Amino acid sequence: MNEIPVTMTVNGEDRAATIEPRLTLADYLRSECGLTGTHLACEHGACGACTVLVDGAAQRSCLVFAVQAQGAEITTVEGLAEAPGEPTAVQRAFEDCYGLQCGFCTPGFVVSVTAFLRDNPEPDDREIREALSGNLCRCTGYGGIYAAVRQAAAELAEAQGGAS
Amino acid sequence: MTAGRYVGQSVARREHRPLVTGHGRYVDDVTVAGMAHAAFVRSDVARGTITAIDVEDAQAVPGVFAVYLAADLNTVCGPIHSTLMGPNAPMPPMRALAEGDVRFVGEPVAVVVAESRAVAEDAAEMVVVEVAALPAVVDPVAALTDTENLVHPEKGTNVAQAMPDTGGPDVDAAFAGAAQVVTGRFAQSRGTNVPMEPRGLVASWEPGTGEFTAHVSSQNPHEYHAHFARVLGIDHHRVRVLTDQVGGGFGQKVFVSRDETCVAVAAKLLGRPVKWIEDRRENLIAANQARNEIVDLEVAVDDDGAMVAMKARHVEDVGAYAINSHASASGSMSNFITGPYRIGHLGFSSTSAYTNTVGRAAYRGPWLMETTAREQMVDRVARAIGMDPLEFRRRNTVTAAEFPFSMPGGVPIDRVSLTEVLDQAAEMMDYDGFRVRQAAALSEGRHLGLGISAYIEPSGIAFGALATEQANIRIDAAGKVRIMMGSGDHGQNTATTMRQLVAEYLGCDIDDVTYSQHDTTATPHGSGTAGSRTAVIFGGAAIGASKRLREKVAEIAAHLLEASPDDIEIVGSEAFVAGTPSRSVGFAEIAAAAYLAPDRLPPGVEPGLEAVHRYRPPSLFTLSNSCHMCTVEVDAATGMVTFDRYVVSEDCGPMINPTVVEGQIVGGVVQGIGTALYENMAYDPDGNPLASTFLDYVLPGAAEMPEIEIGHIESPSASEGGFKGVGEGGTIGAIACVANAVNDAIAPLGAHIDRLPMGPSEVLAAIDSAGGA
Amino acid sequence: MKAAPFRYHAPSTVAEAVDLLTEHGDEAKVLAGGQSLVPIMALRLGRYGHLVDLNRVDGLRGVEAANGHVRVGAMTTQSAVEHDPMIADRVPLVAAAAPHIGHFQIRNRGTVGGSIAHADPAAELPAVAMALDAVMEVGGPEGAREVRAADFFTSMWTTSLADNEILTAVRFPVRSELQGFAVSEVARRHGDFALVGTACAVSVDGGGVVTDAAIALFGVGPTPVRAASAEEALVGTGPDADLGEIGRLALSGVDPNDDVHASGDYRRRAGAAIVARALGTARDEARGGRS
Repeated sequence: MNEIPVTMTVNGEDRAATIEPRLTLADYLRSECGLTGTHLACEHGACGACTVLVDGAAQRSCLVFAVQAQGAEITTVEGLAEAPGEPTAVQRAFEDCYGLQCGFCTPGFVVSVTAFLRDNPEPDDREIREALSGNLCRCTGYGGIYAAVRQAAAELAEAQGGAS
Repeated sequence: MTAGRYVGQSVARREHRPLVTGHGRYVDDVTVAGMAHAAFVRSDVARGTITAIDVEDAQAVPGVFAVYLAADLNTVCGPIHSTLMGPNAPMPPMRALAEGDVRFVGEPVAVVVAESRAVAEDAAEMVVVEVAALPAVVDPVAALTDTENLVHPEKGTNVAQAMPDTGGPDVDAAFAGAAQVVTGRFAQSRGTNVPMEPRGLVASWEPGTGEFTAHVSSQNPHEYHAHFARVLGIDHHRVRVLTDQVGGGFGQKVFVSRDETCVAVAAKLLGRPVKWIEDRRENLIAANQARNEIVDLEVAVDDDGAMVAMKARHVEDVGAYAINSHASASGSMSNFITGPYRIGHLGFSSTSAYTNTVGRAAYRGPWLMETTAREQMVDRVARAIGMDPLEFRRRNTVTAAEFPFSMPGGVPIDRVSLTEVLDQAAEMMDYDGFRVRQAAALSEGRHLGLGISAYIEPSGIAFGALATEQANIRIDAAGKVRIMMGSGDHGQNTATTMRQLVAEYLGCDIDDVTYSQHDTTATPHGSGTAGSRTAVIFGGAAIGASKRLREKVAEIAAHLLEASPDDIEIVGSEAFVAGTPSRSVGFAEIAAAAYLAPDRLPPGVEPGLEAVHRYRPPSLFTLSNSCHMCTVEVDAATGMVTFDRYVVSEDCGPMINPTVVEGQIVGGVVQGIGTALYENMAYDPDGNPLASTFLDYVLPGAAEMPEIEIGHIESPSASEGGFKGVGEGGTIGAIACVANAVNDAIAPLGAHIDRLPMGPSEVLAAIDSAGGA
Repeated sequence: MKAAPFRYHAPSTVAEAVDLLTEHGDEAKVLAGGQSLVPIMALRLGRYGHLVDLNRVDGLRGVEAANGHVRVGAMTTQSAVEHDPMIADRVPLVAAAAPHIGHFQIRNRGTVGGSIAHADPAAELPAVAMALDAVMEVGGPEGAREVRAADFFTSMWTTSLADNEILTAVRFPVRSELQGFAVSEVARRHGDFALVGTACAVSVDGGGVVTDAAIALFGVGPTPVRAASAEEALVGTGPDADLGEIGRLALSGVDPNDDVHASGDYRRRAGAAIVARALGTARDEARGGRS
């Protein structure tokens, strides 16, 4: 069989598998790791639902083959928080501001926004909109999502201010 | 209504925690032991006759379990129909797989079942389908008179349904006496629902027990249940349909598709579970679509600027196989096309055309073309008689003093706030201030525009199978509460709103209540989450069952507290004697008596704590209404439209949860913006879909959408709680609102557009043909 | 939607990559960032027996200054150039183009070389390469060679690279002092492929008269193109130049296609408008550069 061994770290755990090269990172996370929080809504890189962190960078996991993640550190929506099921500031902001309805696109938004606010903790409105443009949502009309990013940014800024 | 302890409050939506942390369970997250995977072979020809299908190479692919054709599946399930329409609907038979002829690109021809989806796709590519192609029928208007090229030859015509002109001498007389007659033709392009989670199911047939179980992505699980029983020839009580999270639907997941039917039959034939998760390309070319409609309007106006009569001719494209009969919107179209205006006479006709395209779906506000066309027409009439469009609407809008006002379609207008929403929206928008700003901008060469759109929406239509819903409420032996309903929530937060109602009317703490819709063997029969019916009909059921159960709780509590049931108050899962809060008993103790210590119950009271209520609203239509206003800027050099503001004044009666109401409105508006500016499921003349990816089917994106401001007016309906539906209204109002704003902006250039979407290319072409910027 | 099967190769040197390409001929395809290639594979619009992944090849990433040029390794991500201070300072047109490429998640993996070698006619970086007369460094079985941008893009999604050659780096000339730049495009949504776009560079003399101009257009034909007659018309003009006319001239030489998003005529009309705007921005910046 045309299969290749691959090892990577997913949400802090070492993972090893032997897989077909055509398996995308998204399918690997879902089927081999049982991490079904990463969703596939287009499989051609246009909707952002499958966004994960690859060595800290937000990327579409449907556009990376799992074999390419050899040695990489992957973080999925399940791995953002300290404890399973506990929300981060970003996740809580999506809840608070009604940044989701059906929730299918939400993991991709949450991961993207997490990376965005880490790199740009005080975004203006234009930057927020541009950062969100890589993720599609069909339910919310984005209003709650804009609000969620603003709330999370403010909260993270406050936490940082308090820590210093 | 004053807000209650829970009702009217923006109670937190507990069901969101798993979704934001990645712990939701959508259908693709379901794994069943021994599960195989399906992929479809679909027609790449729009119209033709299948001359040969070669499956030999596909069957030889390692890992392939079966390749099924029409001869394998259709013989098992027969033609498919929805429960609502029954087997005798006047429609050509819709079969699971294409048999003999193919009628649209994307039509399923074969289904491959294999050990993985990738292998199934490998094999599907090797199935060779030979089709003798015929000219495709694509344009619905041309289709109506085409007698040579027929989508369904046995029908002898491409006319799927015709509603004859309802007009009469009164209409003609009104037009004859009019000061002015204004005409217009408005077209809306084909669009599609695009749930972010495509369709899908995991179907399991257990030969030992004869039972069939399906995990589905559905907004109407009991319809799926009935459908599977029907197509598989299994007794209704041996079917079980499970839904966990459903990633959107907007009408596309109300009825069971051919594709889902094929997977169910394949699972039975194969004797092992089969999963099919629709991919995005399939969703765009093979899942039902909507909106391709044209309306010709004539409006007669008198000397005072009053619209006195309307003539409307409606043509709609229902594709090759509408999912539910003709899926014609003509009935609601004819009822509501005169909208909130004092138009006394209407002549309405409608014709539906079969075409070699994907069949029509019910998509959020399926009949909304009445508002899309009428509200653009109202602006056109106002412009024609030289009156401001807001003033023109104010003059023509039915006032409360006239209620109940009978629309010419027969529906009485009552319990709505037609003039109030106009005023509120105008105030929120600072209408007069905008007009000043607009004039100033124009003098600098900038093109701002304002659009208005007002409508009446028939929410929670209480007709036939849609008329009723049921709540089963159980206080369990520990005193905790569970609501069970046959809903198909797919993002509406029904769990929260129903918990609010039960907590309010039963008197328990909301944290003591859970909500369940996920198993059709445990929930009462329901007709799903669609048609803006949840608040009205499910809500009425929840209130009714809560009140019924509360009575029993009060009776038991009174007995335990040695008081009269009339003196019992129930709040926060605690029953106490009015005026003496120290004399109280909690739900846990009441439940313990009801289940575990029947001797503690009052004489004659049946042990247990459950209540059932099936609710039917008092009116066939529960009317919501709204006025949208938005402002845009059009770049006359590039045709690009950017939003300035978007305001909605709405009346859905008292709100159960304002946050959820506003979320429905905002989401609906943005889908309407999609139809107005972006989305176009175009076909070429050969019937090939031109938007089979998310690069070509343009959904509204996060960078461009306005932040929508919402004002509320609350006039209660006659239904329980006074609620009205709000799920579709945002979309209904938005399309014409945006179109009117764009047209207002380019009017000084002499330009006008009456065909959607208004992409930059169309805007610039309109400006050019009017003489240029 | 799953890609057809392929063999995966992850060479660690350019020579190894070239050997693999030579061995597998037209069965092989180079995988860079994959942000265009993987969708093509997922949709099964393309199938390749062998993928040669350049992500583990040494020395293909990074930005360095060299001899009046900035050399960008082909596997440098678009996001890296977007945020690189040297790029912003010395090749501002690349910095201006980068935010227009897809979305930030795409730019985090998509590469400069991948975009240029993919040669999508509606993409920004090929047009930037054309506008700046960038030089492509190419590795092949005979060793390295260089190709001028003007000779690189031959047709839609097609370059003058041989099947067994790879783009290893792109050299962009460092800006001069009295030079300004702009990228302008029309897209349905932020991050979408442009319906039509332009990358412009304008040089002025001390009096603000245009001494040199580059106008590259994208989304108007099978390859990015330079609008030579409009460039000539702009040279020698001062602040009163009719940029609208120059914009129309720029688009007069192309014949863009109709598609589901826009007509060819639209692309010409809107293109003229954005060229005028971009030239205005670039010229203003060039003048501002005097101080």
